Formats: sequence, structure tokens, C-alpha cells
Amino acid sequence: MTDFNAMIDALVSCDTAKVTDLVNTALAEDVAAGDILKKGLIAGMDVVGEKMESGDMFIPEVLMAAQAMGNCVTILKPLLGEDESTTGANVIIGTVKGDLHDIGKNLVAMMMGSAGMEVHNLGVDIAPENFVTAIKEKNAQIVCLSALLTTTMPMMKQTVDAIVESGLRDQVKILVGGAPVTQAFSDEIGADGFAADAGSASKLAKSFVN
Amino acid sequence: MYDRMQELTKQNMEKIHDAAMDLLKNTGVAFNDEEALEIFKTNGHKVEGSTVFFEESNIQKALKTAPKRFTVHARNPEKNVEIGEDDFVFLPGYGAPFVMDAQGNRRQATMEDYDNFCKLIQTSPYIDMNGWMMVEPADMPSDTVHLDLNLSNMLLCDKPFMGSPTSRQGALDGIEMAGILWEGKENIMDKTVSVSLINSLSPLQFSDEMAGALIELARHNQACVVASLIMAGGSGPVTLDGVLALQNAEILAGITLAQLVRPGAPVIYGSTSSAMDMKTGALSIGAPELSKNIHLVAQMARFYNLPARSGGGLTDAMSADAQAGAESALALSTAVRGGINFILHSCGILGAYIAMSFEKFLIDEEVCGMVRNMIKPLALTDDSIDIDVIKEVGIGGQYLTHPKTFQLCRTEFFMPTLMSRKNPDAWAKDGKKRIDQVAEDMVAQRLAAYEKPDIDPEIEKQLTQYVENKKNI
Repeated sequence: MTDFNAMIDALVSCDTAKVTDLVNTALAEDVAAGDILKKGLIAGMDVVGEKMESGDMFIPEVLMAAQAMGNCVTILKPLLGEDESTTGANVIIGTVKGDLHDIGKNLVAMMMGSAGMEVHNLGVDIAPENFVTAIKEKNAQIVCLSALLTTTMPMMKQTVDAIVESGLRDQVKILVGGAPVTQAFSDEIGADGFAADAGSASKLAKSFVN
Repeated sequence: MYDRMQELTKQNMEKIHDAAMDLLKNTGVAFNDEEALEIFKTNGHKVEGSTVFFEESNIQKALKTAPKRFTVHARNPEKNVEIGEDDFVFLPGYGAPFVMDAQGNRRQATMEDYDNFCKLIQTSPYIDMNGWMMVEPADMPSDTVHLDLNLSNMLLCDKPFMGSPTSRQGALDGIEMAGILWEGKENIMDKTVSVSLINSLSPLQFSDEMAGALIELARHNQACVVASLIMAGGSGPVTLDGVLALQNAEILAGITLAQLVRPGAPVIYGSTSSAMDMKTGALSIGAPELSKNIHLVAQMARFYNLPARSGGGLTDAMSADAQAGAESALALSTAVRGGINFILHSCGILGAYIAMSFEKFLIDEEVCGMVRNMIKPLALTDDSIDIDVIKEVGIGGQYLTHPKTFQLCRTEFFMPTLMSRKNPDAWAKDGKKRIDQVAEDMVAQRLAAYEKPDIDPEIEKQLTQYVENKKNI
């Protein structure tokens, strides 16, 4: 009987070596990889998410836990079935054209990755057509657009428009974020959601795919 | 070091010194206490009626024996504090008759309020010493309240405390009780366990209570702040230049008395002089003149190699609002940066000393923590610069997932407990609370988390008994 609580605790205390050890031990005891992922790692990251929200865990600790989880997912991946390797969500994320800011956007990407989503981080200064191409290539379900400048916020609308024109709009949920972005702006440009910080962005994305 | 606040030249300070010497020699200072006059006479001072005159040599002699730094011992030795040179302490507000609640209702302070302030001090990460009369309890008889305050200071908090300067007898009661706390008065005769605030009565007087208390405290080696609180334009000249000369004379006169009583008795050069509001005649302690004076007092104290006292988180505002925050932070930060060693009124004061606020206590306390962090020097070693990490992350990388960031993320930066860093959505979701509203919730939590520090039950019994006996006389 594998103690998933120990795995959750190790993840919450950012102990990469211990989590990895526990995952390997569980595999040696023939615990199903899918169970380890869901009941151990993803459950652990849920606790991490809650602790981040309440201020009990700091961002670098959350990311360290996420990294530990990532390492374990790499171990589990060859053993997982087709449909159980992720939460099923393919996410495209990038900072819109004309904007070079990426710290917040990367933070969102890492948070989503740690929640079990398959995140494709395109980087900064991404033109609308490149978002469209990436959606097709990765068969994405979620697109996240980031902008820090009021001057590049209109590019978010152009990107949304480009996705509409490409005929892919119904395939994806579009999330927007960045310091000057608001829920009202999100509604105005026809996006599906807005999040004020990395934790809630990841939560929102999860709610769209579950 | 470059600082835009006025740095006095040696010549400036000598001019202030000379002006004070002139006042002390030719105008004199009144001491309304027989023993004080006797002491001055015995030591060759000219005394006319209650007016004492000083030669420069009298002052210089006193300055030779006054220590530049000293330790104040706490009953928990881990909480001893150092006062002088680079070392400084934060203390709470002092002398407020009212408590202002979070809704702006003013009420008379009670003994329970006093005890609650003791509890906040005990649980404070930033306030180094317990104060005296943080509030003046209106529900206790005024002739014995000093006994209750001493008892609460000693029992509810194990940090060093301020002593009772209310009168000669008040000072003696405080010394007797400290003697019980240290298991014998002989144990504190050469050991400073309290600091008391002796104020001059500007211009150029010391009341009988203050002079009597000063003598008893110095005699028992208990530290005294000799402080002048001039309202420029009212109880002193309208220019700060004149105030500096006048307060210097008053402070040096008090310090000289202490050194005559006991050479080497610890003293602190103090002033919180500020401007009188010329529209109302009220004292203003939110005025920029206060910060100016704080900065100059620190320099004059250094000129004499003495520890300095000034304030503090001081404000004229009646609620813990933006005015309170701005005025308090300016004065507090000036005191710390300027080199004040005994920072009284660091937290809680509202309305030019008229009231203490529990909420403002917590806000100011956090500012104390921020200022302490602000002045903490960088190590600037190879290890702290750690150029390898910068090279490793390289151009355009990020540090958020670097192990070093993980390792130091809890300890490297100041972590506020009150100051909000929320984004607009999180702030709105949490009810758009102002800091005073957040503080109101936190006061209750802090008081609930308070634990009375351990004390020998026999000592507690003796202290309580002393207070009982004194009250029944």
C-alpha cells in the first residue's frame, strides 16, 4: 500500500530527492503510474497551489515543487497510457507582438505545467499569425496572451481576431493577463477569461479543461 | 556620506554650545527641589533662590563622566539592549490620556489598555523595550497608578522597561520593585535595569518632581533621558536655531545634576522639540520642523559623545490614516538614519500625543521593521555577490527558479505582515481593506496569541505584595 501522503508532503516541502525516491519505490512496488501521477503528484501540487494562495508558500518554493514534479513526470511518462499522461490540456502561451516582458508570463507557464498541463511557451514578441500556427501544430485547447504595456494591449485584440479569422476560435479558450489587463478588457476583446496572478491563471485554465 | 539634511559643521555646533554656555552662566536654570539646590551649592555653583548658574568647567566635568553607551538589563538576559553609538532601541508611545479606536471614537484609557500595550510589546518583533505610561489609565487612582504600571511592566513583559519618573517617591518605588525583580536591591545598584524620562519645564526650569526623580534614579545608577520638549514660538524661540541653544542649556543642566549625584550615571541627551502651530497655538509633531530637530539633536548628542533620544512615529493626525502614516514614517526614519539611540514614541501615537491607537501601534511597528531592514548593510563579499550565478543565468535568463532564490526567498527580503502587496483584483476580493482595517483584525489576533513570560512565582508574589502594601498606606 503506497503512502501517497508521504509523496504529497515531500512535494510540499520541495524535497526533490525524496519525491523522486518515493516515486521510484512506488513503481518498484508495482503501483500504477497513473495513480502515482494523480493521487501523489497532482494531489501534491493542488496542496502547493492552496498554500501559495494563502501565502504559506513562496513563488520560488512553488516553482521548486513544480520542478520536482516535472522530474517525476519524466520518469512516469513512458509508463503512462495515451490518455492519462496529462490533464489533457495543450496550452500555448506567449507575450504578444511588440511586448518583450516575460517574467509574469513564464510564471504562469510554470504554474500551468506543474498542474499537469502540457505548456508550449512561445516566448515574447509573438505575432498573431504565429499564435495561429502554434495552435494548429500543437492542437492546443488553451491560448494564453500576455501584455504588460497599455500600448501592446490592442495587439491582444488583434491576436484574438486572427484566431477567429483562422477558424480556430471554437477549438480554443483564450486567456489574457498582465498588469494593465482587466476582466472588462478581456470581455471587450472577446477573450474567454482573465486572471490577475499566476495561481489563478492556472486554476482558471484547469477549470476550462475539466 | 552625502545626505541633503543639514550636517552641522564643528563651528555650527560650537556656536550652539557657546550660546548654551552663555545662558547657563548668565540666565541660569531653575531647579524647584531643595536637594538639587543643595547638591549644586556643595559643588560650587552659584545659586540664587532656585536659580542655578553654571560655569563651562562644570559642564565639561559632567560630560567627562557621562558614558557614551550603556546596557539596559532585562529580566530575560537575551533581551538586554545596548544604547549608544551605533546601537539604538525602539520604544512605544508615552503619556497618552486617550485611546482612539479604529472607528475614530476617543475614550479614556484604562488599565486594561495599558496591559494590552504591554502584551503587544512583549509579542513585538521590532519593539526592543517596554515603555512607560503608554496610556494613562483613568480608572486607577493617580497617586498609586505608578505602582500598577511598574507591576504590569515587570510581569507582562520580559523586555527591559522604562522607569517611573512621576515623582521622587515614584522613582523610589520603581527602584524598590526592580530590586525585588533582581532579588535584592544591591544587585541593581551598579546595573542599569531601567531608563526614565526626565523632562525640563521649558524655558529653563526643572519641576520638583522631575528634579527629585532624576536625583534618585541617578543615585541608583538607573538611566535617565534628560529631554527638552520646546514648542518653538511658545515655550521657546520661534527659530529652531534659538531652540537648539535653549534646549542644549536645559539638557546639559540636567545631565550635570545627574553626574554630580553619581559620576558615570547613564544619561541620554534628549529632545522632541517641534513647532507650535501658529494658527491654533497647538503643538505640531507632524511638522517637518520635528524631523529637522531630530536630525540636529542626534548631531549635538554626538558632539558631546552622549546617546541621543528623540521620536518616533509621531503625527498630528487623529486616525491611522495617510497623514498619520506619512508624518510618522518621516520622523521615525529621520531618527533612525540620523543616529538617535533611544527612539521613544516609535509606535501608536495619534493627535500630537493625545491618544494611542492599537491599530497605529501595529502599523508603526511594521515601519520600525522596514526601517531596520533599510539600514542593514550589505555584506558585499564574493559569496554575497555570487557572480557565478549571474554568469550561469546569463543574458535574458531568469532567477526565479534558481536554487539560490529558493534558498533565500524567505530570509533575504523584509516580509510585511500588514503592508498590502495585493493586485487590484485580490484587494477587491478581500473587501478593499485599508491598512487600519487590516490592523484592527490583527490586534485581536496578537492579543490572543500573547503568552505571559515565565517568572519565579515567589518574585511575582513579592512584587504584587509590595504594590498592595503601598496602596494600603
